[in-house]
Amino acid sequence: MMLTEERVMKRPQEITSVKALLESQGLSLDDDVEHTLGIFRGDELIGTGSVSGKVIKCVAVAKKFSGEGISAKIVTSLLHYLSEKGVHHVFIFSKPDSAEQFRSLGFREVARSEPYAALLETGPHGVEEYKKELRKGFVEGKNVCGIVVNCNPFTLGHLHLIRTAANECDIVHVFVVREDLSLFPYAVRIKLIREGVSGIPNVRVHEGGDYIISRATFPRYFTRKTDLAAAQAALDVEVFARHIAPALGIKSRYVGEEPYCEVTNAYNEAMKKVLPAHGIKLVVVPRLKVGNEAVSASRVRQLIREGKLDEAEKLLPAHAFAFLKSPEARPILERIKTSDSRH
Amino acid sequence: MVEGKNFGMELRKAGCAGTLESSDIMITIHPGNGEGIEIVLESPAKQQFGKAINSAITESLMAIGVHSALVEAKDRGALDCTIKARTETAALRAAEMDDDEVRAKK
Repeated sequence: MMLTEERVMKRPQEITSVKALLESQGLSLDDDVEHTLGIFRGDELIGTGSVSGKVIKCVAVAKKFSGEGISAKIVTSLLHYLSEKGVHHVFIFSKPDSAEQFRSLGFREVARSEPYAALLETGPHGVEEYKKELRKGFVEGKNVCGIVVNCNPFTLGHLHLIRTAANECDIVHVFVVREDLSLFPYAVRIKLIREGVSGIPNVRVHEGGDYIISRATFPRYFTRKTDLAAAQAALDVEVFARHIAPALGIKSRYVGEEPYCEVTNAYNEAMKKVLPAHGIKLVVVPRLKVGNEAVSASRVRQLIREGKLDEAEKLLPAHAFAFLKSPEARPILERIKTSDSRH
Repeated sequence: MVEGKNFGMELRKAGCAGTLESSDIMITIHPGNGEGIEIVLESPAKQQFGKAINSAITESLMAIGVHSALVEAKDRGALDCTIKARTETAALRAAEMDDDEVRAKK
């Protein structure tokens, strides 16, 4: 048995050595990690792994120590760290060729996107339980479609997309990104959506949970970094096509055309590639325009940032504009004005 | 081995013990829903030893007065004595008790 020591990596030179080890395996250290572990033999860093939310990632073991059970030590330590924090539904985000090793440690594979990414999970409430919940909302229909939205905030553009789908399909399932990493909190986003579609009888609104654009399936969505976005987008779409669409009999997915954001555009590109392979049709709906301007939530946030909320009125459904003018919205508007986040 | 047929142990939160290293087992015990002990086992030897592992876990829980729990077990080829020790420790952590409190209660 090899004697090793565990250390939490914090200081700049420690982080530098972690990055070097990851890079030697073709990996990188994501900037959203909150806890990074180092496994040492003497002074030599021989293994590392990190945690972001409920996701274990950036796991690497020095080549000459592979097969010595170092990754079991890393995952054990990170699981205990998460357990202390009360997190028991845990994901591992890895390369597909490491997935087998994590399966042998008791993780179940959710989906993979060759050759970039695989997602595994552990805990009593996994994707099968999520699908069971979803199936309660199953509605029979010849032409059932799905839409994934963040609605940060809900605009006339989202309403247009949902209405278009509702006119063309029997049933529209709308999934709302659950992760609370956007400037508009989840509770506000889903409330404005529910109110906005309440008059359309064939629309069902669902919580996106851990499996639709989450820190597990698509971390780059929230950091707006484009380098790995394509790889992660493909994984997220795999999860949708393999688990979510079959649970509800979804045959097509509607998306808004994306003229501005590179990350969202990468997501749309991934859907073009992945969905047809699973027999799901992708329908791209052109952006709604008001005057010459395409309606977008990022434009609304920009107007808020510039203190021109009244100019956003023409981009928003009446109830959403009324909300933004209400006292309840004040802290959110303040946050948008002072935050660096473009998201 | 803690014997405690005379008292029930209340699980307050999830408790975790053990490692994923070879010959060990990692056990996480969640408070149950009052419908007995449910075990979700992952093991390379599940076909051959699944039943034996499950009964080792159930017996150690019963022995310390836990009658309702959801148990996640990730086995890496642990012996019976290891399974029992890990299960007991995980349950004590889930009940927010230490060994002394258990002995005092007996």
